[in-house]
Amino acid sequence: MSHAYRAVGWNRQKRLYDLATGLGVVLFLGFFVGGGLWRYPDATVETLLIRGLGTAAILLLHVILSIGPLCRLDQRFLPLLYNRRHLGVTFFLLALAHGAFSIVQFHALGDTNPLVSVLTSNGRFDSVSGFPFQPLGLAALVIFFLMAATSHDFWLANLTAPVWKALHMMVYVAYGLVLLHVALGALQSETAPFYGWLLGLGAVWVFGLQIVAGWRESRLDRGRSEALDSEGFLEVCSVAEIPDARARIVCLAEERVAVFRYGDKISAVSNVCQHQNGPLGEGRVVDGCIVCPWHGFQYDPATGTSPPPFTEKIPTFRVRVSSGRVWVHPQANPAGTRVEPAIVAEATGEAGV
Amino acid sequence: MNVQWASGLLLLIALYATLGLCFGLPFVWRGVGRIDPQAEQGSWGFRWMILPGVVALWPLLAWRWWHRRPPPTAWTAHQRGDKGGTAE
Ligand code: HEM
Ligand code: FES
Repeated sequence: MSHAYRAVGWNRQKRLYDLATGLGVVLFLGFFVGGGLWRYPDATVETLLIRGLGTAAILLLHVILSIGPLCRLDQRFLPLLYNRRHLGVTFFLLALAHGAFSIVQFHALGDTNPLVSVLTSNGRFDSVSGFPFQPLGLAALVIFFLMAATSHDFWLANLTAPVWKALHMMVYVAYGLVLLHVALGALQSETAPFYGWLLGLGAVWVFGLQIVAGWRESRLDRGRSEALDSEGFLEVCSVAEIPDARARIVCLAEERVAVFRYGDKISAVSNVCQHQNGPLGEGRVVDGCIVCPWHGFQYDPATGTSPPPFTEKIPTFRVRVSSGRVWVHPQANPAGTRVEPAIVAEATGEAGV
Repeated sequence: MNVQWASGLLLLIALYATLGLCFGLPFVWRGVGRIDPQAEQGSWGFRWMILPGVVALWPLLAWRWWHRRPPPTAWTAHQRGDKGGTAE
């Protein structure tokens, strides 16, 4: 929110998260290199380190790509999402170290510039076994660099959330390049088909999760009734369907709207958080404010504005309640417009406007 | 890719990045505070941290600094709906 920017906004939970990540990476590399030396006494530490860094990177990439859809499927994964950006940067550093060591090991000995050598070596596009798999890794690394370099909140604000998100969607392009890099390059020297299967399984897992999460959301969108009153309000659900201090998410005007119930009041706001487009309707109302489940940005449900000194604003929607049913006008108000909450009459569940 | 193409490509990238660095240092020192009020009091850690991205995206930031543009506001379908009249 609107503080002066700092390098990293650490707190206790994020420190623990980063500590666990770092420890995991160090242990993995230790086991990989140590185990490799024990199993293949002829192997050099450099080769094992290159492979270990590459393997650690691709494993972490799968974890990172799974977190988003897992959180959409089940809220219990949310703590993982909380600091996903640090995982992303850790992954990038691992991939960078892997690429840099490979270049030093395989390309820095001749007279040509090592980077020229990466781009031009084994350039046999007509054969699978000679296909230049290293340029594919380099191309992926360039995309990962752009993502890591723009991961600070400054970029989110200055590129705007949709542009930033589009940039970060390129992770799937880069993921595809990595799959090819590993399938065409690294696996050729492996005789065990086991690694190929593992790679395929990883890809099926990542894309499968996305499809399942997307399918569930589109079902939620379609689940509402279509009744429309004379003033253009749409019936969205019954009051009883919204748990206290929670929301029901409905799709109006091309995007999702979060309809919150808090005490005897009902308010509707855009479901899209100003910070990173987090799903506000999956958050709760705490101390009178909607709290985004992703990174905790807060909004007043009646006005769609963050409490001072913060200045974020989201669009609001007119709501009314009658006969225990909630109606929302699909025309969004400009971000930050105050709308009187609809009041739920306690005794009967009936309500005025 | 043959050696000439590869060298040419890398030369262009090196040139772009050098220009980016020449722009980036004064930008993270002064310019960034001009285009984003939250960066005015930003720490040095923050300034170093955004430098790689500045080197990569410098033409965009140069344009913004030149025109003194503040951070844009994000545009969702709902906000587009405000302008367009019909929302559904
Ligand atoms: C400049 C960029 C890159 C270069 C030059 C490069 C080079 C290489 C080389 C030479 C190998 C074969 C190692 C061996 O078989 O001994 C390899 C394997 C591998 N690379 Fe890369 N790579 C790059 C980027 C990446 C990136 C971005 C990833 C992302 C995760 C990655 C993941 C892997 C994996 C998982 C392996 C297989 C490791 C194994 O065989 O156990 N590489 N890479
Ligand atoms: S998306 Fe980050 S707080 Fe909402």
